[in-house]
Amino acid sequence: MSALLALDKVCSFYGPVQVHFDLSLHVNQGEIVCLLGGNASGKSTTMKTILGLMKPRTGSVTFDGKVISGLPTHRIIRAGIGSVPEARRLFGAMTVRENLLMGAFIRDDSAAVRSDLDRVLTLFPRLQERLAQRAGTLSGGEQQMVAMARAMMGRPRLICMDEPTMGLSPRFVDVVLELIATINREGTTIFMVEQNASLALQIAHRGYVLQTGRIALEGAARALAADPRIRDAYLGGEAA
Amino acid sequence: MGTFIDYTVNGLVVGNIYALLAVGLALIFGVANLINFAHGSLYTVGAYIGWVCITQLHTPFWVTVPAVLIGSGGLGVAIERLALRPLHGTSRIAPLLATIGLSLVLDQVVQLVFTPNPRALPSPLPDWRFQVGGGSIGTLDLLILGVGIGSAALLFVFLRFTKLGWAVRATAQDIDAAKQMGVDTDRVNSTVFAIASALGGLSGMMVGMYYNSIDPGMSFDATLKGVVAQIIGGMGNVPGAIAGSLLLGLIESYGIALFGTSYRNLFAFVLLIGILILRPNGLFSAAKETPPEPMTGSFVARGKPIRIPMPGMVGIVAVAALLPLVAGDYVLQTGTNALLYGLLALSLTLVAGTVGMVSLGHAGLLAIGAYASSLLAIELHIPVIAAIGLAGLVTAVLGTALVFPAFRMRGHYVSIATLAIGQIVALVILNWNSLTRGPIGISGIPPLTIAGVPLYDAPQTYWFVLAVVTGLALLQARILSSHLGRTWRALRDDDVAARSHGVDVDRYKALAFAFGGFGAGIGGAVTAHLYSYINHETFNAQISVLALTIAILGGLGNISGALLGSALLVGLPEVFRGLAEYRMLIYGVVLLLLIRVRPQGLLGTV
Repeated sequence: MSALLALDKVCSFYGPVQVHFDLSLHVNQGEIVCLLGGNASGKSTTMKTILGLMKPRTGSVTFDGKVISGLPTHRIIRAGIGSVPEARRLFGAMTVRENLLMGAFIRDDSAAVRSDLDRVLTLFPRLQERLAQRAGTLSGGEQQMVAMARAMMGRPRLICMDEPTMGLSPRFVDVVLELIATINREGTTIFMVEQNASLALQIAHRGYVLQTGRIALEGAARALAADPRIRDAYLGGEAA
Repeated sequence: MGTFIDYTVNGLVVGNIYALLAVGLALIFGVANLINFAHGSLYTVGAYIGWVCITQLHTPFWVTVPAVLIGSGGLGVAIERLALRPLHGTSRIAPLLATIGLSLVLDQVVQLVFTPNPRALPSPLPDWRFQVGGGSIGTLDLLILGVGIGSAALLFVFLRFTKLGWAVRATAQDIDAAKQMGVDTDRVNSTVFAIASALGGLSGMMVGMYYNSIDPGMSFDATLKGVVAQIIGGMGNVPGAIAGSLLLGLIESYGIALFGTSYRNLFAFVLLIGILILRPNGLFSAAKETPPEPMTGSFVARGKPIRIPMPGMVGIVAVAALLPLVAGDYVLQTGTNALLYGLLALSLTLVAGTVGMVSLGHAGLLAIGAYASSLLAIELHIPVIAAIGLAGLVTAVLGTALVFPAFRMRGHYVSIATLAIGQIVALVILNWNSLTRGPIGISGIPPLTIAGVPLYDAPQTYWFVLAVVTGLALLQARILSSHLGRTWRALRDDDVAARSHGVDVDRYKALAFAFGGFGAGIGGAVTAHLYSYINHETFNAQISVLALTIAILGGLGNISGALLGSALLVGLPEVFRGLAEYRMLIYGVVLLLLIRVRPQGLLGTV
């Protein structure tokens, strides 16, 4: 198996309530993989489990061939996983620049960090003029850009994105999706959780559909987008 | 002019001492979202390390300072690692209670090792004084000012320009996001406790030198002042904490100049309440709204209550009622005492457990009841039994009115505000000479009397108090199972939801405080008539903490739990009389163990 990230028969619980039932999925190097599902299907829990914010009771998460489930979050990040958290979670009182540099917290090569900052800013030119502004004062779309740029600053091999289009205006949704595709083309693997299946499947290579903690469907993005079950359940805009 | 400068220098010096405390509290609140009630204990520990170094080991000053920093900083790290980190992911109130428990333990240990007597802590600096425009400033003043400014500068550089400092700031803003940037937040926590405790210890040593006196009781006041200064500046706001401290120091110093020393703390607490009401984010933040503390519901640990069946209850009351037939006077006095604490715990368990407002100033209600009843009986010659009832009503009205400003607050803010209100009650009693006889206290309070017959012997007193407690407990149980009780629990679990269902939250909180105040007021009144002498210190903050420990031991909101907790915590140390010296240590350890092992209390929260 050459998967970059793999979840193997993960069972996670909130107290007595089981969220995942033998959840298995994998993400190959260079892919964009999306995890789709409605409310309470266990999408965000999957993300928390990968990032070590929750520990699975049984099963394992491996990254680059090493088991990472059970490690504290900061070690998982250091292993090469970047995160764009749900609702962005910027450091609101810090400037955009400081937020981006926080993204490079795990790195000690300050010269390279500086050149990466320039590189990221060419990708997100909008942020150039906002650098000295407090991150909390930006619009939702701009904050999403900061969150993505921040994740890139750690030079991760895989970026996990939790609902990157949530709460954005339609115009920004397209911009953000285009940026995700660009980041991926430049060599970063993407694993994203999305509620909006039609949007996510536009840019993804493969997808999984999660239903009450189990994988209900999986396959190539094109095939999923054409699957009548998906169309009925998820397509046609925002799931209510 | 000269005296004005002297008072200004004094205010700035004291302000710097507060700043060293408040900065640490702000850092800890920032990253751990916790008001560290053990902070003052580290200040005391620092003072005693300094005392040992200077007066016993005769170390030079450049050795003493690092010893204090390392000793108190190390203790802070140990506290975080051993007592607080295991509580991650439990209810929000658990770490707060743990720091209260820790402070009890640390203070008592210091007292056991060094005796409660004050010690002189001489300053090793040469005693030069410099004339400044009619006033003067001494070497120690300059040292304290220098240490304050120097620490602030170092802290600024640390937070701004070091990687760990960035991690601290990021963790303070969003701990989960910081983790996702690769920040080891456990390490951040340790670092912050180390810095905060080291600065707190240094502050303690310098204050000891400033007044040339230290004692184990100094921690409580230090915690309070640090918290007040921090709230003035805005919780978790480090520069704000410094500014708030200097402001507090100056206001106190000028206040003393104008009104006298006994008013000192009154300024601090009135300022605190004013800030909490008008600018809960501190003087330097624009927003009026308190930041949403998501502690409703999860603030108190949940657990399934153990129900004692009706026959069991009747049996327990019967056994309690028959106790005087077999027990001697000493046991009955202890029992009476436990019952009176039970009355206080019943009141607190209602307010803190059922309504979710964790009060740290509940002894203030006892004081109001005690003074009301005593004064009514002495000055107006009202029969004692009627005076006690009236005192209950007075306490209900006054207590509710005093706590009213805190009704809009949540979580930590309620605890701080009630703590301050409790202190304000004591300070008003101390200063309102014409009514309360000030520091002299009230003596010659008439004994408990029913229908003209004084209850002099222990069994009669015991039966009387048992009857009062049983009556109020039954009433409280009846209310809890009614519509009113349900509404109280609803607004505890989610006050926004309760409000959106049309519940007038303030009115229901007022009802809870009125009922709780009535019970506590009666408890205080009965106590006063039993003691025959009371003063402003009879019902101190330690009693508030003990009441909270009792309520938690029994299970918050749990009526039988409050009474069981009181019997155990008040009764048992009396039974093992040799333990009297270790009483606060026992309370502290009980509190710490409970939080770890059985956070829902013995009989479970309701």
